[in-house]
Amino acid sequence: MSLEIVAEIIAKTANCKIEDVKPESELVSLGLGSLDTITILFELEEAFDIEIPNEVIPSIVTVDDILGKLENLNSAA
Amino acid sequence: MTNRRVMITGLGAISGLGLDLTGFWDALKSGRSAIKPLDPLFDGVKISLGATVPNFDPESYFSSSELTLLDRYSQLAVIAAQEAVNDAGLIYGENTLVDAATIIGSGCGAKHTDEATYEQLYKQKRTRAHPLTIPKGMPSAAASMVSLHLGTRGPAFGLASACASGSHAIIQGMTMIQSGMIDVALVGASDAPFTYGLLKSWDALRVASDDTCRPFCENRSGLVLGEGAGMLVLESEEHARDRSAKIYAELAGGGMTSDAGHITRPNILGITNAMEKALHHANLYPDDIDYINAHGTGTIINDATETEAINRVFGTYAKDLAVSSTKSMHGHALGASSALELIATALAIHHKTIPPTANFTVADEVCDLDYVPNGSRQQEIRAAMSNSFAFGGLNAVIALKQYAW
Repeated sequence: MSLEIVAEIIAKTANCKIEDVKPESELVSLGLGSLDTITILFELEEAFDIEIPNEVIPSIVTVDDILGKLENLNSAA
Repeated sequence: MTNRRVMITGLGAISGLGLDLTGFWDALKSGRSAIKPLDPLFDGVKISLGATVPNFDPESYFSSSELTLLDRYSQLAVIAAQEAVNDAGLIYGENTLVDAATIIGSGCGAKHTDEATYEQLYKQKRTRAHPLTIPKGMPSAAASMVSLHLGTRGPAFGLASACASGSHAIIQGMTMIQSGMIDVALVGASDAPFTYGLLKSWDALRVASDDTCRPFCENRSGLVLGEGAGMLVLESEEHARDRSAKIYAELAGGGMTSDAGHITRPNILGITNAMEKALHHANLYPDDIDYINAHGTGTIINDATETEAINRVFGTYAKDLAVSSTKSMHGHALGASSALELIATALAIHHKTIPPTANFTVADEVCDLDYVPNGSRQQEIRAAMSNSFAFGGLNAVIALKQYAW
């Protein structure tokens, strides 16, 4: 899963520049709330044709957290 | 604190007649109809006419992040509510607005949102619904979004009674002020019915005209759908006077009944009782009324039944009344129509001008009242009524009075 695609989806939801989305960026610091987070997860599911389980949501704080969850899903598949 | 008088101190309107109240009233008083061919037409839909909001660019009102949470009917509601609040001279963050109630009716709710999601699921066979479908599409979404955008923190809820939703919302706000529960209410209704699924459903009812909307005429052929929102600021007399507010008219009373009969056919007793109750509640006699803004959909049965009901309630005085249907101009915007029509009635009193029934040809033989055909009329209006008779037999009639300081 590339940071590029994830960053593009996050930037679209956060209405910010793609280069502002860094692995260490906290979603809150990008102005993203809970509805934004589930919108991003929806977009990622659509983009990668995957199912992201609800249980992962509480542990998502940074962009890197999302990348890690996607990586785990990928290796489990 | 009981039975306080209620004033209309702010108005907002977005409709087929224009993006604001000025456009709305300019068109009404000149008898200009917003009904025109739908552009583009909907594939496979018989309905070809509508009164859609012209030159509407949501992005000129809202940021892209705001729009992600705003169905079209919520957009229209927020725009009209903002105009009504500005018109009333209320300011964001001040106590008067913060404490206000927000009661927003709708006939069909957030169809754009629901249909977009269902189209993806049913037709495109996608496996996921967009996560904002629920908060954007819930029937109370407009009430929440108006509250959120305007900072109103008093009682807030959505209200549904089909094409009388606006009238019921207005009466609800009025009674809450009369009772002393609140001082100020932001009330009205919004509808945006131009979606594929809803138009197909209206097709199936076979009540839409492919000519135009000609209420009370012998060649009337049905209703024409419209979209829009009408919002009003209501205020107790004392509160309005304390801040020297502009007063359009006194909201004098409301009458509400249910036919408990047929799901679509109007019932003469139900609508007669609603008009009589409105007069009684407003402490008015029939010959105090100078103007009735009719429900006047342009369907064969509504216009005949409404005319008969007016004759029953007003007796021989019915012939001295001016009766017009402004649906001939703003179309039938479902629940929003009832709010837009009350705004038209308040403006008629305020400007001493009765808006006409547009597109008028020759009156039907069973429609024997003065329908103010095609041209507006300059006239003092001491008191007026606005009729709304919804599918399902839900009737709401509102009486307004001229108010002098």
